[in-house]
Amino acid sequence: MTRFHRRPEGGHIDRARQVSFTLNGRSYSGFAGDTLASALLANDVTLIGRSFKYHRPRGLVSAGVEEPNALFTLGSGARTEPNIPGTIVDLVDGLEARTQNAWPSVGFDLMAVNQLAAPLFQSGFYYKTFMGPAKGSWMFYEPFIRRAAGLGAATRAFDPDRYETRHQHCDVLVVGAGAAGLAAAISAGRSGARVFLAEQDALLGGGLLAEPAMESWRQARLAELQAMPNVQMATRCTAMGLYDDNLVVLVERRDHARPDASKGQPRQVSISLRAKAIVFATGAIERPLVFGDNDRPGIMLASAVRTYLNRFAIVPGRRAVVATNNDTAYPLAAELAAAGVAVMLVDSRPTTAAVAPGVNVLADSSVATVAGRGHIQQVTLSGAHRATFDCDVLAVSGGWSPTLHLTSHTGIKPRYDAAIAAFVPGGFAKTHFGAGAVMGTFGLRAAIIEGAKAGVEAAGAAGFATSDGAMTTIQGNDPTYAITVAPPVLSGKGKAFLDFQSDVTAKDVKIAHQEGYQSVEHLKRYTTLGMGTDQGKTSNVNALAAMSELRGMQIPAVGTTTFRPPYTGVAMGAIAGRGIGKHFRPTRLSPLHDWHRANGATFIEAGPWLRVYYYAWAGDTVATAYVKEMELVRRGVGLSDVSTLGKIDVQGPDAAEFLNRVYVNGFAKLPVGKARYGVMLNDDGVVLDDGTTTRISETQFYLTTTTAQAGEVMSWLEFLLQTQWRDLRVHVTSLTDEWAGMALAGPKSREALQLAFPGVDVSNHGLPYMGCLEFDYEGAQIRLLRLSFSGELAYEIHLPADYSIPLWEHILRVAAPLGIKPYGLEALASLRIEKGHVAGLELDHRNTLDDLGLGKMAAKEKPFVGKELRMRENLQAPDRWSLVGLELLEPGKSLRGGAILFAATDEIKGHGRGYITSVTWSVELQKTIALGLYQGGLKNVGAEIICAFPLKDEFVRARIVSPHFVDPKGERLNA
Amino acid sequence: MRIPCPHCGERDYSEFRYGGDASKQRPAHGSGDIKAWHDFYFLFDNPKGPHAEYWQHVLGCRRWFVLTRNTATNEVGGPA
Amino acid sequence: MLERRSALAGTKEIASSRVRLGEVRGFTLTQVAALDDPVLSDIRAVLGDLPQHPFCGEKDGRRIFHTAPHQFWIVGPEADDIGRRLEGMAIVTGLSHSRTRIFVEGPAAPDVLAKVIEIDLHEAVFGPGMFAMTGLHHTPILLHRVTASRFEIYAMRTFAANAWDWLADAALEFV
Repeated sequence: MTRFHRRPEGGHIDRARQVSFTLNGRSYSGFAGDTLASALLANDVTLIGRSFKYHRPRGLVSAGVEEPNALFTLGSGARTEPNIPGTIVDLVDGLEARTQNAWPSVGFDLMAVNQLAAPLFQSGFYYKTFMGPAKGSWMFYEPFIRRAAGLGAATRAFDPDRYETRHQHCDVLVVGAGAAGLAAAISAGRSGARVFLAEQDALLGGGLLAEPAMESWRQARLAELQAMPNVQMATRCTAMGLYDDNLVVLVERRDHARPDASKGQPRQVSISLRAKAIVFATGAIERPLVFGDNDRPGIMLASAVRTYLNRFAIVPGRRAVVATNNDTAYPLAAELAAAGVAVMLVDSRPTTAAVAPGVNVLADSSVATVAGRGHIQQVTLSGAHRATFDCDVLAVSGGWSPTLHLTSHTGIKPRYDAAIAAFVPGGFAKTHFGAGAVMGTFGLRAAIIEGAKAGVEAAGAAGFATSDGAMTTIQGNDPTYAITVAPPVLSGKGKAFLDFQSDVTAKDVKIAHQEGYQSVEHLKRYTTLGMGTDQGKTSNVNALAAMSELRGMQIPAVGTTTFRPPYTGVAMGAIAGRGIGKHFRPTRLSPLHDWHRANGATFIEAGPWLRVYYYAWAGDTVATAYVKEMELVRRGVGLSDVSTLGKIDVQGPDAAEFLNRVYVNGFAKLPVGKARYGVMLNDDGVVLDDGTTTRISETQFYLTTTTAQAGEVMSWLEFLLQTQWRDLRVHVTSLTDEWAGMALAGPKSREALQLAFPGVDVSNHGLPYMGCLEFDYEGAQIRLLRLSFSGELAYEIHLPADYSIPLWEHILRVAAPLGIKPYGLEALASLRIEKGHVAGLELDHRNTLDDLGLGKMAAKEKPFVGKELRMRENLQAPDRWSLVGLELLEPGKSLRGGAILFAATDEIKGHGRGYITSVTWSVELQKTIALGLYQGGLKNVGAEIICAFPLKDEFVRARIVSPHFVDPKGERLNA
Repeated sequence: MRIPCPHCGERDYSEFRYGGDASKQRPAHGSGDIKAWHDFYFLFDNPKGPHAEYWQHVLGCRRWFVLTRNTATNEVGGPA
Repeated sequence: MLERRSALAGTKEIASSRVRLGEVRGFTLTQVAALDDPVLSDIRAVLGDLPQHPFCGEKDGRRIFHTAPHQFWIVGPEADDIGRRLEGMAIVTGLSHSRTRIFVEGPAAPDVLAKVIEIDLHEAVFGPGMFAMTGLHHTPILLHRVTASRFEIYAMRTFAANAWDWLADAALEFV
């Protein structure tokens, strides 16, 4: 005997296109136009899951996004996707679905033994047992509970599908394409406004798809819309969240089109849509009735039975009971009767609405109990007619809840409307409009008129004043919507479920109330009500009704929980879009990058930059290569890419005055053609950055910053010029991308330079330390600076970026007889440690000039940024942690950046007296050295201390020394 | 959130960088004692409602400007 | 003479009937800024009428973009002396190497760009001849709509390969 079967005709399905799919490995077939849920129902598969806590048998409840029970794991392997409601899944050929939360099968579920232990799973059980006095017990139990009670499991494999993001803009967004939404889109579209009509379903029409009498109206409206080029219609496109300034994030699903990632076709697209005005035509969701065992398979929402009957042409069995507390279930009863089903309509209200011929109606009666475990078999009534009826399906309607999630996302609290026993939007922003069921307008004719009006208003709000709101509507008046909600039964036989997915019963609410968890937000967290993947779409109002009954208050006084995005589940991939893998964040490349890549460079990330870590000529691993590269610079000559340095063009009559203000040391009198090392502070007196700035002319400077702070310094200089010192006639422009830079360093660097630029006088006289020469070389403007980061005789060659590879190759070629080679970042950074130059690791926005040993640079006479707050008492304290050098005293052991420093006699505990910032092997001293900050700094020179790295259980002795390990007098760089 | 850049027009807030409270006057260069700078740099009101703020259009024209933003609603414009 | 080498020297043009993606090489980009209004008049004497944001000016084979108050970008031919002619009267900064110019062309060009650029690209809002400075994958760009179906992007040189990858990826479904 079948409980459900497909009619030979009718419905929005294409019987010519048969579709095969599997459930738990077994093959079934349905039709194009089916959802997974409708196809299963047509195949009479009604038991499709086990509940979360009690493992009770469950079937379909709904035909839409509100589905709490019929969750499936779809796909296999890396495409496994858990917890997807079958009601929203387009049936496509080869679809693989698996039921969840049952082992070994839904029919025979070992975990159903949980039902015997049901008292354990009452609300609050988790809290009391696992969060209680026994510390750590949750950690112990959690894995077991998750395994027994979890939903579907996600795969750990990389998702092979493609997801994209898209930006869109429109004048009027209409959310929902039911009667009201279609009307709104048409009337807004007539104004000429750009309209985006978003519908989460595969078809446009919403509730109309279950109204056969409205089909011609629907078709006519769709034709009208299709004729408007300014209206874009999107199906399978769910508005997930509403954010500030009318940003709506929608997710469009394209599984039905079989997207091929290798061809760039996305499976889902996350759309960030900016709308000037929005019409919410999001409809309403039906509520179940609350009675004992109301979760049995075969008990479905009346709207769902109607949708399956009319949209999917699926007839339920031979006998149906329709139980309701309002008028909207009456048409279903009539249609079932017309389809040859014996119908008993049970209405809890004393007076019933008009019924169609062939429908038996019992007033003043409610469902008391049901019989049948795997599927409903009998209904027993209470009230005026205490009879028992056999049935194949029990269709229930507990009234309707407007879908006001989206309208509430910006924080507007919903308002309770007692006349319809439901929450409605609590108000709208100026550019927001509502129409249809979301407003509590349940009549079709009224919804169409309201939609048309909202479309005109929304177009007006978007700046399209003249629009035609005339709308073809339907004849006759809407039936009145009347509802009487009986107080929920909070005790009695059988579990009366409020929230099917989270397995929360009326009794749980009672317990929560008894234990003082009475506010809605507490109720939610104590019972887990509404916390499932369906977010309580069917349960919210029934639970509030139960709590308000217990507290002796009206529902509005109890309030409702906060609605937050997303409205329905979103694939993580759709959120990430293409910002994955190498596109997780932008990558920045030096103009010399292509040369490095072709010449054996290993790269390392430095902020957004990919920099050369070391070159293959020097070794296979960084540990050996950087030492060889350091030796190259200390003994011969090396070439390194420093294009990542921030470079800023500072121009204008007041350029010198400007730099004199931002640097702690003087720049006003810097001669043209000379460079100077400078340090900048923040307003708070802490070091912001350092770098070398060269005076190109009286009114032009070439400023360099560290790689890390380039953006920060640029913004800071712009801030000062544009908001604080508007009287200064200075203009700044970033040249970081315009100019490449390369460091030529080592005792033979002058010889290399002479070979590279034969006509240029680079003698100590022609280009002294901190000097600058500008000349043209083979059509390229060269800015040659004599600077040293390594402490060796060294130069920086700056030139427009496109010429950098040819010049780099030229230098390596002509200086080859000197043994020149390129060197990478690790060697560059290690050479400067030997020299005791501070860099990013020391310039961490916590240290002062004095902490870094640079206090003497601060000008006494002139004001500079940070001068005042630098003198704060604590910043001048004598025992501040300040820069020291460290020498490892235990050969064979290692120092580590981040190691905590302790005096030799200290207990190894707490934050110590300082830490190591930078470590290297010194080729000069042939030992491991480091820079660090230590309490009292160089007052401790000679002291033996402990460098502790407790994570690795390392405790190593080191000696505090001057940080200038190499050439402290600067003889080399002045040579 | 949308921010009106005085040069480029209205853009998504992700094109901008926030630059702090603009309701207070930074002491003029070379003036002010530690106390004045301390109060400017470290003491802030935390208003619920309109707030004058510095923003820079970093992905656009790089202009700094003062924007009034309602800290409760993110509504932009109007007097602080 | 040293030969210029583009940040996209290693990439190949992408072309299909729906979209074409490639690089425009051989141009001079000169930034000129005025510290006050009188200087603007001096600049006008050299360049003629200055366009107002968001409209790109075209004159004598040059395109002029009003990139900030009192600041313009002049995109001229590979050998352009406009910078020298303006030097002394205004603040001139050569930026020819700082930007990589990428074109996106074809009927699907707006669809490709909508995936990666936030601003409204509808012709009624952002029509031919208009430009915008905006973001592409968190980095600043200047986007110029040359015609209804041709866009040019001036991306930072050091992010040009990133921008190219990002655009090429967005174009994949149309190739």
